[in-house]
Amino acid sequence: MTDVSTSNGVAIRTPWRPRWLAVVGIAAVVTTALTVWLGLWVTPPDEVQGNLARLLYIHPAVATVALYWAGGVALLGSLLYLWPRTRAFFWDRLAASAVEVGAVFSALTLVTGSLWGRPVWGVWWTWDARLTSTALLLLLELGYLALRRVPADPQIRARRCAVAAILIAIDVPIVHFSVDWWNTLHQSGTILDPGFNLHVHGSMLWTMLLSFVAFTLIFVWLLAMRYRIEVLQDAVGDQELEVSLSERWNEDAELVGVGGSGGAVDGDEVRGP
Amino acid sequence: MLHDAVLVAGKDLRIEARSRVALWQVVPFAILVLVLLAFAIGPDQASLRHAAPGIFWVALLFSTVLAIQRSVAVESGEGTRDGLRLSGIDPAGIFLGKAAAIGLQLLALQLILWAGVTFLFDVRVHVIWLAVVACLLATVGLACAGVLYGALSAGLRVRDTLLPLLVLPVLAPVLLAGSKVWQAALDGNVSSGTQWLKILVPFAVVYLVVGIVLYGPLQEAA
Amino acid sequence: MSYVDAGYIVAIGGSFLYGLSLFLRRRRWERALRVLESSPEERPAVAEHP
Repeated sequence: MTDVSTSNGVAIRTPWRPRWLAVVGIAAVVTTALTVWLGLWVTPPDEVQGNLARLLYIHPAVATVALYWAGGVALLGSLLYLWPRTRAFFWDRLAASAVEVGAVFSALTLVTGSLWGRPVWGVWWTWDARLTSTALLLLLELGYLALRRVPADPQIRARRCAVAAILIAIDVPIVHFSVDWWNTLHQSGTILDPGFNLHVHGSMLWTMLLSFVAFTLIFVWLLAMRYRIEVLQDAVGDQELEVSLSERWNEDAELVGVGGSGGAVDGDEVRGP
Repeated sequence: MLHDAVLVAGKDLRIEARSRVALWQVVPFAILVLVLLAFAIGPDQASLRHAAPGIFWVALLFSTVLAIQRSVAVESGEGTRDGLRLSGIDPAGIFLGKAAAIGLQLLALQLILWAGVTFLFDVRVHVIWLAVVACLLATVGLACAGVLYGALSAGLRVRDTLLPLLVLPVLAPVLLAGSKVWQAALDGNVSSGTQWLKILVPFAVVYLVVGIVLYGPLQEAA
Repeated sequence: MSYVDAGYIVAIGGSFLYGLSLFLRRRRWERALRVLESSPEERPAVAEHP
């Protein structure tokens, strides 16, 4: 099953279906189940936070996926698309898929962070650097996705979105620094991370590492699934174009056959299917 | 007139359902305003809680301007407005329909903003009916005034910069009264709240009536 | 339900639901593609964003 590479004019027959996708999916399920079992039952509660510390096996992994894996792939894809030597729609589609998956995970990061923060600090939300920049990242990702939905020529859209992704990647660290500065001038500068004061050792450490593996596998699987949809969408777009062109061609042909007036409708380039 | 209104409202809502611009652009924008205002006010939790009602209404007002611009833009294609005019639909019906469509979107937006404010600023509304009534009344006023001013600026090249300038001062009383009612709802001060509700009622009524009367002539002039 | 349970459910459930949505969306797009690729008799207008 080969990937489809070009976008304009080449009709896609077989949807992209890599064999490793199922394997990754199964591995994701297994590692996640293992993480849950270890996290909820096997590992001991923390001395200070008690059972709340079990969110250590969820929140940091989700946050890492959102910020580093998804963001990294989106940035890399965008850069590689813009660089003429490596330009291919594969990178554009990969980047767009990464942004959408990243947006989902950013939202999950915020929710799990709140659920952890609420019992620890007593509030659902604080304006600390980590949370705030994740919130802003989510908004920026939504902006990117809105931009992507604007109908446009695939190359123009790809270029536009690639630039947008790079700007987002530049912006988030800046926001993070600013908010950190903003906060430290106000408070004593403690990092408001519910997991910060946890002493992670022994089985806790291994489970946490396993959780990273599990969520990374989940990310890869979701990314591949989303990429497949991106390919299909472009294929449908191309097919629609071909269909409308061929219909127009047939109309013109009929007109030519009947009246001999040429049948050209103004503004048309007469191109055959 | 009412039948036409339903027709137009249905059309606008269907366009929104298909394109989902409000969902993808206006909602994130509203949340963004919340975040930006939080940055402006500072990380002190007490200040943020104090400012929360105002922040809610400012975010709503700015988002309303966006929603109006979208509603006007939907009809800015070649001849669409002329087509509407010539179709024989009662202009008052068009007005009501567009206002209803925007109103519904604004109500949905307010729910989201309410959740956002509660979550981000750690506030809790104690007198819920006060807040709800304020939102409903304000929505009528915002939607009607919005559609009216949208029509006023439609077709102008400078529409995008002109509309906020025209409509925001008009909507200022809503901001004022709305914030006060919400403050009262957060504090539990019912009497103060109902006082301020009394401003929202005439605002809504006036713009509803004015819109019905003036929208037709406005369309002719545009 | 504890905060911990909620956290696990949100993270894993959320990923699962998103994955499910991707699965369903993929099917709709595949169907759209099949409709367009088949011979020209049919062609009900295919929506841009199913």
